[in-house]
Amino acid sequence: MLGKQWLNRYASTDMRGTTIERSQNRQRKLDGIVAWYFDHVMELLPLMLQAALLLLGCALSRYLWGVDITVGAVVLGATSSGVIFYLFILAAGAVSESCPYQTPGSHALRYLQPKAQRALHSTASVIVLASRDALRKSEVIRTVEANVEWYHPWWSGGKIMPFLKDIVLEIPRALAIDSYHLWRVMVRPLAALPVGVYRLGSKIFAPLVSLGHRVHSRLHGSSPTPGQGLDEQMTVLDLRCVSWMVRTSSDKYVHLSTLGYLATVMPLTDFDPTLVADCFDAFVSCVGAGADNHGVVIIQGLEELATVSALCFFNTASHLLVTDPTSSVLEDVRQRYLKVSSAQTSLSGHQAYHTMCAAGSLLTQRRERQSFRWGDYRPSAHEQAIVAHNLVKLAQSEYQRTQQVKVPRLILRFALHSLSLDPSPPTSVIADCLSIIAIDLGCDVSNMGSDERCVCV
Amino acid sequence: MEQVSSLITWRVNAIVETQDPDELHSKYKAVTALLPYAVWRERGGQPVMLDTFLRAAWASGILYFTWHRVDRFVSTLLAKASPRAIVLASPHVPWHLLTDREDLVEQWAAATSAVPHTKEVAQCVVDTLLQIASRRKLLPRITRDLWAWLTKRPSLPPVCAGRYYGTYPHVAKAVRELKDVEVLKSYLLITWSEWDALWNEGFDEVCASIRRDFGETGVDHHWADLIQRLDHVLGQLDLGLEHLQQRNPNLREYDFQLMECQYRKLREKLLKYRYRGHRETLVEANIEISRGSFPVVTAFYILTPVGRRRIPRNVYVRASSPVSIALHP
Repeated sequence: MLGKQWLNRYASTDMRGTTIERSQNRQRKLDGIVAWYFDHVMELLPLMLQAALLLLGCALSRYLWGVDITVGAVVLGATSSGVIFYLFILAAGAVSESCPYQTPGSHALRYLQPKAQRALHSTASVIVLASRDALRKSEVIRTVEANVEWYHPWWSGGKIMPFLKDIVLEIPRALAIDSYHLWRVMVRPLAALPVGVYRLGSKIFAPLVSLGHRVHSRLHGSSPTPGQGLDEQMTVLDLRCVSWMVRTSSDKYVHLSTLGYLATVMPLTDFDPTLVADCFDAFVSCVGAGADNHGVVIIQGLEELATVSALCFFNTASHLLVTDPTSSVLEDVRQRYLKVSSAQTSLSGHQAYHTMCAAGSLLTQRRERQSFRWGDYRPSAHEQAIVAHNLVKLAQSEYQRTQQVKVPRLILRFALHSLSLDPSPPTSVIADCLSIIAIDLGCDVSNMGSDERCVCV
Repeated sequence: MEQVSSLITWRVNAIVETQDPDELHSKYKAVTALLPYAVWRERGGQPVMLDTFLRAAWASGILYFTWHRVDRFVSTLLAKASPRAIVLASPHVPWHLLTDREDLVEQWAAATSAVPHTKEVAQCVVDTLLQIASRRKLLPRITRDLWAWLTKRPSLPPVCAGRYYGTYPHVAKAVRELKDVEVLKSYLLITWSEWDALWNEGFDEVCASIRRDFGETGVDHHWADLIQRLDHVLGQLDLGLEHLQQRNPNLREYDFQLMECQYRKLREKLLKYRYRGHRETLVEANIEISRGSFPVVTAFYILTPVGRRRIPRNVYVRASSPVSIALHP
């Protein structure tokens, strides 16, 4: 009932406003669900009920067994049947992922099973290896063998007594050496076992600790991320919202409006890296095989979405290249881009294609890069401003990365191309192009805001 | 509001002042990317950035300072620029990549006639002129008026694409075909330099020019100017490679030796054809042949190779000019 109450509260639309405001509210709730481990808690509620039922069954059986054995046996049988049934579905859920009777226990078992197996295997193999090694290099055996050889034939004449005396005297020392060696071989792998257990435990308890911290910070009224302005927080919220919508919706109009909004978000702050892949997917969904099956073309009616998604891809990819150039998402997208770009395309006349190529050129290595000319790239003023702004950041980051040697030539070529345009580009673009040049020349423009970077036109 | 442009100008000036060629070499692409904006500002009455660009370009010591990527934008660049900017920046335009752009030559020619003549302008015009002339397709676009810029004889910098490519044989031939000895002499005076050797075929063309155009009488003062120039060049070469490398580090041993060889040969040829011209004149004028004084004839024989080979023993050299000319250099 408690869970039902929470879900009702989540589903309720308790505010009015624009679509964006309502989406932000929904996103805030969703973020709360994730942050407060709502799904885990919801799973925990039936578990608690089941545990309570089990305790009741056990207690009742125990009580009725004392009153009347027959009644007690019936209740015990019912309880045992319930437990067996539960264990069965637990095992079934753990063994087969497609089994519909999934429980939190089967999830946990499935998670722990390979780890436990690995731990057991490694421990067993360590013990076996250590034992073999100990036997092979055993000091005790060596002592016995040496004495046997020395007193050969030890059973004849009066040799038996000295032989036994020596054995008795030397064996304790050999035993101590063997024990020491055995301990030294086994102590490291065995010590790894509690460390593994500790890590597993900390992984399980981390959410609880995090939850505790969250509650603590809430109670003491501290801000979640100090230094983060309200606008920035809203942008983060918006970006999460956009990410969720692009991923969950398959409606092209929803994609168009969402990505159209994303294209206006400047500057991008913290966002889910998978948004890059989502934008790429959105673009790929706009292209299809040509009429004569030669190459791919942009599907009729989706030109606008293709343009917007390509711009968003450029925007997000270049931002991620700055913030996390080693991101696995980027590598994944790069591989997919190379696969797509190797296909024969008939898109060269389309603006979105050039934007994609520009983004792809930034992502790929020089040797993988196909010839891309900024001269073919004639974007709108808005798009050009976004591209220029991103390229300044990327230039700065790459300049730092190359130990202050140079800005990538692709970016410098953009500056040359944009400054050569007739008519001249907007002021902000000129300022950004000059910033790129300044960075390559070794000037520090990181402290200048975009207003300060503006030049008189 | 102009923080970035000021910062860039300051930075480029600082790089130029360090006189570190490696640093300028490593930043030539960035400086080139600045050119369109510098040209644009110059037209708006703010020439500082363009002047900085030019300073960097001349100081770099690179034959083609500008990034080749700029070739796609030259037409818009020239369309935006003032005549002064066109003239001053044109030596740094990659003309070798614009072989089919006759329209740009016309644009440049129009700009040359619209700027006041100064030493700097003359230098840039001549440099560009020779670069354009070195491209066969563009050569016919050069008018007689443009060739006349050569007579201003500006001194070109140690590293100069115009002078380097200006000794192509077809350029020398085109200049000779003008039939203007003043322009031809100026061309030779400009292209003969201690910084650049002549192209092989160009060298042959120049030799032919010496024989036919300067081997006749009536061009004595031109001949003297050429000899003087060659003496200056050879004098500079005599100072040694290290001395020249102080101003042009790119100068190589091979080029240095080639230059020495070429300019010495040119001097010899200049002298040789000069004497032959005088001998023929003497014969044609049917000068009275009589036995001359022994010391004069002996001196002539000893000191001049021409005398040793060409003049018969019984020729009386009354006119003292060949001897004096032979002794003079």
